[in-house]
Amino acid sequence: MRRAALATGAVIVLGWPWAAPRYFVFLASLIAVNAIVAIGLNLLSGYTNQLSFGHAGFLAIGAYAAAILTIRAPALPVPVALLLAGLVTGAVGLALGVPCLRLEGLYLAMATLAFGFVVVEAILNLEILTRGNDGLHVPAARLGPWSLATDTARYYLVVAVASLLIAAAVNISRTRTGRALLAVRESEIAAQASGVNLAAYKTLAFVVSAFYTGVAGGLFALVVGFVSPDSFDVFLSVDFVAMIIVGGLGSILGSVIGAALITTLNDSLAGFQNYRPLIFGAILVISMLFMPGGIASALRRIPGAVAWPPFTRRDDR
Amino acid sequence: MTWASLVHVVISGLATGSIYALMAIALVIIYNATRTLNFAQGEMLMVSTFVGWTAMQVLQAPLIVALAVAVIAAALLGFVLERVVIRHAISATHFDVLIITLGLSLMLRSAAGVTWTHDEFPFPSFFSNRPLIVGPLRVAPVSLGIIGASLGMMLALGALFRWTRLGRAMRAVAQNQRAARLMGISVERVYSSSWMIAAVVGAVAGVLIAPVIFLSSKMGLVAINGFTAAVLGGFGSMPGAVVGGMLLGVLENLAPLYLPASIKHSVPFLVMITILIVRPGGVLGRVARRKV
Repeated sequence: MRRAALATGAVIVLGWPWAAPRYFVFLASLIAVNAIVAIGLNLLSGYTNQLSFGHAGFLAIGAYAAAILTIRAPALPVPVALLLAGLVTGAVGLALGVPCLRLEGLYLAMATLAFGFVVVEAILNLEILTRGNDGLHVPAARLGPWSLATDTARYYLVVAVASLLIAAAVNISRTRTGRALLAVRESEIAAQASGVNLAAYKTLAFVVSAFYTGVAGGLFALVVGFVSPDSFDVFLSVDFVAMIIVGGLGSILGSVIGAALITTLNDSLAGFQNYRPLIFGAILVISMLFMPGGIASALRRIPGAVAWPPFTRRDDR
Repeated sequence: MTWASLVHVVISGLATGSIYALMAIALVIIYNATRTLNFAQGEMLMVSTFVGWTAMQVLQAPLIVALAVAVIAAALLGFVLERVVIRHAISATHFDVLIITLGLSLMLRSAAGVTWTHDEFPFPSFFSNRPLIVGPLRVAPVSLGIIGASLGMMLALGALFRWTRLGRAMRAVAQNQRAARLMGISVERVYSSSWMIAAVVGAVAGVLIAPVIFLSSKMGLVAINGFTAAVLGGFGSMPGAVVGGMLLGVLENLAPLYLPASIKHSVPFLVMITILIVRPGGVLGRVARRKV
């Protein structure tokens, strides 16, 4: 059953560029990019209960790192550029995560919110590297003999990276580390009493989350082909939070579903800019009031439904 | 830089600072009652100011009518939001309620944009724009007016908390909800009144600041500085909110004199990050210690 579901999923994902129009291939790439961010954010918020409103800032750092690398060092293979983007962002995550250990709940939310604003201001002011408000055009990256110039090529790159990161996240969640993170979420005191090093695991969650988001940022730069400070405002951070709320906190499948839903919704509402936040806000409020576990936990309640979400959130309050 | 112009900068800093202080007080009032950070505070301010302004335009009435209508609208809005949405989530975690107020803020801003467009509108002021000249000093009456009105509002709130039954009940709930309930205080009523009072404080701040920053769907962003002010003074403390607000206003106005001008917008965020890292309890507060 599970294998069949996975295989069907794989066939659909791999066959997509041949079945769908070009624009939807681009959209699917964006969904995959956002899914990576959502998983990263979920590792932080869903697992260790540290809410971040600053992930647009991490995405911006990753995107600019990849863009600058591709422009300055065109010979650099894509995987290396993405890895570097992730590592740079991970380092920033470490720098932010350590002082944030002292904060929780509201304070952490506010500190990360402020972080997002500061990143945008920094991009605007570091004009030598970032060209400020004008933004950067990202040339087509090269992977060995191929140039990633078409939407389809970029789609496969994004899907490959996303699958790798999803598999890694699923595995992390099943290891000692994943169980430690879950323990931290359930009760910091109980976790500490059981020998979980709180500071180390919370920092680790921050770094891994930033790394995921940084890699996603690099992919974002390649897929969109253009980065500017406008793309990374605070509302993007809110979108990411919406993805994991709607999808389900602490669920990897939920993160992917949430990313797909919110990205598609965003895209289909592009013509109604004025109403977009209204609908978005309503979705947040309604899903929090009536479906606090997100779609992932709603799925779990349907008998006989795919028993795939590999770890379950404690049943809703 | 002469001392006269320094005084001028400090006074206008205190003026914006008192608005931040009012926002911080509103946030703290709600926090103390429901243990929630109200992300929609700024948007509640914006909507009630818009409602007051519309009433004034439609009735061709003086500004005082706008203030009255804004205050009534705010109280109503606070009441409805608390009763219809927040009350249902009261047993949920902070995380959930935070997301709900975030959703509300998006909805309110978008609804305001649909109703009144996203343009900026000039807003009349109670105070004249002509600078007051005292010897070498030039002081804008707007600044003095804002400071005076805010101080008046703060004193009124102080009196409310100190001497009225409701105020005592609110303080009791802030200290210990269960004990307050056992003493026969209706905690639900305190929730309700806290949201209404916070909304009213916001509406007054909105009418005071709208002439300076213009009336627009974006004006709710001023609440972010209110968060910073509240954190700066120690979240949860009223005197802290006042001190934090004033301090932030002055810092924000002084920073561009000594640092690159482009830094002004980052000041609140840099201050917030610094204070959270160095002294999470705020300049006045005790160190926020985690309880089991």
